[in-house]
Amino acid sequence: MTTQAPKEPPAMTHGLTRRSGMLAAAASVLSSSWIRTARADETGTLTVALSTNPVTCDPINMGSHDWEIISESIFENLVEFDIEGNLKPQLAKTLPEISADALVYTFDLRDDVLFHDGTPLTSEDVKYSLEYTIDPANKASRGPIFNRLSHVETEGPHRLHVHLKVPFAPWTAFLTKFMGVFPKGSREKYGPDYFRLSPKGVGTGPGMFEEWKPNDYISLRRNPHYWRKGVPSWERLVVKIIPEDATRVAFLLGGQADIIGAPPAREFSRLKTRKGIQGAAIPTFGGWTVMFQNPSQPPFDDLQFRKAIQHAVDRKTIAEKIYFGLVEPSGIPAPASSWWYDKEADDMTAYNLDIARQYLAKSRYPNGTEFDMEVSSEPYLLDSKDAAVFLQSELAKLNIKVNLRMSSSQIVQTHVMGGTYQSAMANFMSPGEATYFLMAAFTANSFMSKVNGSIEDPEVVAALKIIFAEPDQAKQKPVYTKLMRHLAETSYFTWIGYFAAANLWRDRVKNFKPSRGLTINVYDVSVT
Amino acid sequence: MLALLARRAGFSALSLVLVTSCLFILTRAIPDSPARIVLGQDVSQVQLSQFEHDHGLDRPVVVQYADWLENLLVHGDLGRSFITGRPVGPDIASSLPVTLELVVVAFVFSCVLSILAGTLSALLRDTAMDYGVRLIAVLGVSIPGFWLALVLIMALAVDRDWFPPGGVIPWSSGFTDHLNSIVLPTFCLAIFYMAVLSRMTRSSMLEVMGQDYIRTARATGLPGWRVLLYALKNALVPVVTVAGMSFGYMFGWALVIESVFNINGLSRALLTAIQQRDFVLVQGVVMVFTFIFILANLVADVTNVWLNPRMAALAA
Repeated sequence: MTTQAPKEPPAMTHGLTRRSGMLAAAASVLSSSWIRTARADETGTLTVALSTNPVTCDPINMGSHDWEIISESIFENLVEFDIEGNLKPQLAKTLPEISADALVYTFDLRDDVLFHDGTPLTSEDVKYSLEYTIDPANKASRGPIFNRLSHVETEGPHRLHVHLKVPFAPWTAFLTKFMGVFPKGSREKYGPDYFRLSPKGVGTGPGMFEEWKPNDYISLRRNPHYWRKGVPSWERLVVKIIPEDATRVAFLLGGQADIIGAPPAREFSRLKTRKGIQGAAIPTFGGWTVMFQNPSQPPFDDLQFRKAIQHAVDRKTIAEKIYFGLVEPSGIPAPASSWWYDKEADDMTAYNLDIARQYLAKSRYPNGTEFDMEVSSEPYLLDSKDAAVFLQSELAKLNIKVNLRMSSSQIVQTHVMGGTYQSAMANFMSPGEATYFLMAAFTANSFMSKVNGSIEDPEVVAALKIIFAEPDQAKQKPVYTKLMRHLAETSYFTWIGYFAAANLWRDRVKNFKPSRGLTINVYDVSVT
Repeated sequence: MLALLARRAGFSALSLVLVTSCLFILTRAIPDSPARIVLGQDVSQVQLSQFEHDHGLDRPVVVQYADWLENLLVHGDLGRSFITGRPVGPDIASSLPVTLELVVVAFVFSCVLSILAGTLSALLRDTAMDYGVRLIAVLGVSIPGFWLALVLIMALAVDRDWFPPGGVIPWSSGFTDHLNSIVLPTFCLAIFYMAVLSRMTRSSMLEVMGQDYIRTARATGLPGWRVLLYALKNALVPVVTVAGMSFGYMFGWALVIESVFNINGLSRALLTAIQQRDFVLVQGVVMVFTFIFILANLVADVTNVWLNPRMAALAA
């Protein structure tokens, strides 16, 4: 239970009578003490309210970008993205030296890092962590992302060389979200449930696991031996689970939460100007709102039908009227502000009901059809329900009936990832670079292969191969241009746009900004 | 009375078996395996099968049910949560008091106020008091609980700072603090049943007050309060029956109230368990709720027999 210091009594605006005085005295007895205990703690507890329920604290199995606030505060990596989206060293002293053939990455580790149990970090721990993650026998859900890594060699206690099987430039970007360094032998010593439920003593981050109260909160304590001196400023981090939008906002306004995730888009502009509240949104390069379609199942196995859907989606209206500017419309897997965006490809998916009808007439469903669309009942990153209802009404104009199926975000995710879905309106987050989703969804044996009906698109695979081996952005650009046009043409999925990282927080929270990586970053946050 | 209790106990045991067996079949009929939630998105078929084997989900439903029942009856063990890996018994025990307190306070509040208001409304028929009570009853029945909760949170917790917007402050933080934190949720939980019970009390009282024995009682010169007590005792029989049912229904309503007020009670735990396909926790919570529902009805029956001893003969 969170607490807060007493609030200043409201100023008297009326003359004080005996009756009003007695009432005021009674009210103060009744109210002042509970206001103290009801509100966020003044003594250094930072309370963050999120909309979803966690299932794990383990970074190598983490599926929720919301809850990476916990895994990223307990565990650290060789490198990290800062809140502006810049890659910088974390447990490594500097960014890696890369061999000429782009197959060996050399890292020098900091020598002042201690695990939460007091043991010093060495290169053996990093080697163990990486090799544990990529070993298929350990079934880490994030392991396949790193399956192009071969092995790790250590050179003394603070130097290591990571060997790749093939050039794979984005792997360091993936480290920041989907990996964590833990002590050598810790997995065998403690077992998987330990990392999932109560990872005490096995991280190096600013927060040390304290407690997980199911359905209520997860709390961390400040790591007093954290290598960045003076960080964190908070004594305790409490991450509360508050699925209801209105309740989450009420907790913020009432002072029971300091920062909230997934603010309701409709209210965001109004709330951020409210006294005592601050808010900001920052564009991300990896947060999509998308209509996933299973191209291995009817009606989405019909290219003409998929193209009809593409042109029937009014992305601009969805971005402006439903997401209230928190989404930047884009019909391709590239935000309009990114360097890999291609306008011509985006235009190939432009909203035009006449063109949509033409494609529908050429499809196997000239008179329309129906399909199921799964929607998360609680907002994950942003609330998709309104957008799904809008799409339902839009597609009805083409005589396409959309049956909305509401489930929890975890269930929707498992259906989508498992390929056992027809379509789903979802929000998806990847690191702020271009290849993650394409690699995951369009290459064989990847963790998201089933999303795309296990269809391996050779053009995408060929383009990715070039991109992985080519460090020069200028030379990558034409490859991306061709790739984006190909994806617009094949219309595997209906991309709606890229959303901003948006948060609301109270004035007492200092040094906080929404992160381009979307997960709330509280390393440098303090509470007054 | 003993015969009634014995019959009721037998019926209750049968009800529990029926409810839990139906629940077992229904939860196992859900196509989503909890393994996909626990093990993550990339769970392979081998991992999924291993998880289901480890948790006994690959066995016939009848065998699973028999095992669960045996563990419950012999060891008092409700099983382990798929999600947290912990025994669900202690988790239920830790979240039940919050829900129980909300429901009991709301129930007492709604019973006392509704009987008082319904009686006054009947006695002062077609007066301003009667119209007022009836208006409040109509509003109480008509206003959706979740909407009322949100309005009260915004008006009294956010804008006025009179109550915390959510959560329940533990007793250890102070009695007054604790009571303040449950005012809004219990009010929202109670208002619907208060409306229902007050209307029922009113109509029942009006009916009883028109009976011959009441007129006779008056004619014998008994004081008004004595006549009122006689009438009330008889008028309360249907009210008690509905109140008993309402007590059980309140645990269902508590799901909405706990969600809106973000209270970590048993009803909210049930909702999360359903979303996460945590069948073991779902079974445990539903069994507890069923038990409470049956118990509440039993208490209502016994109370009715006390109010009207002829009912014991009817029940036997």
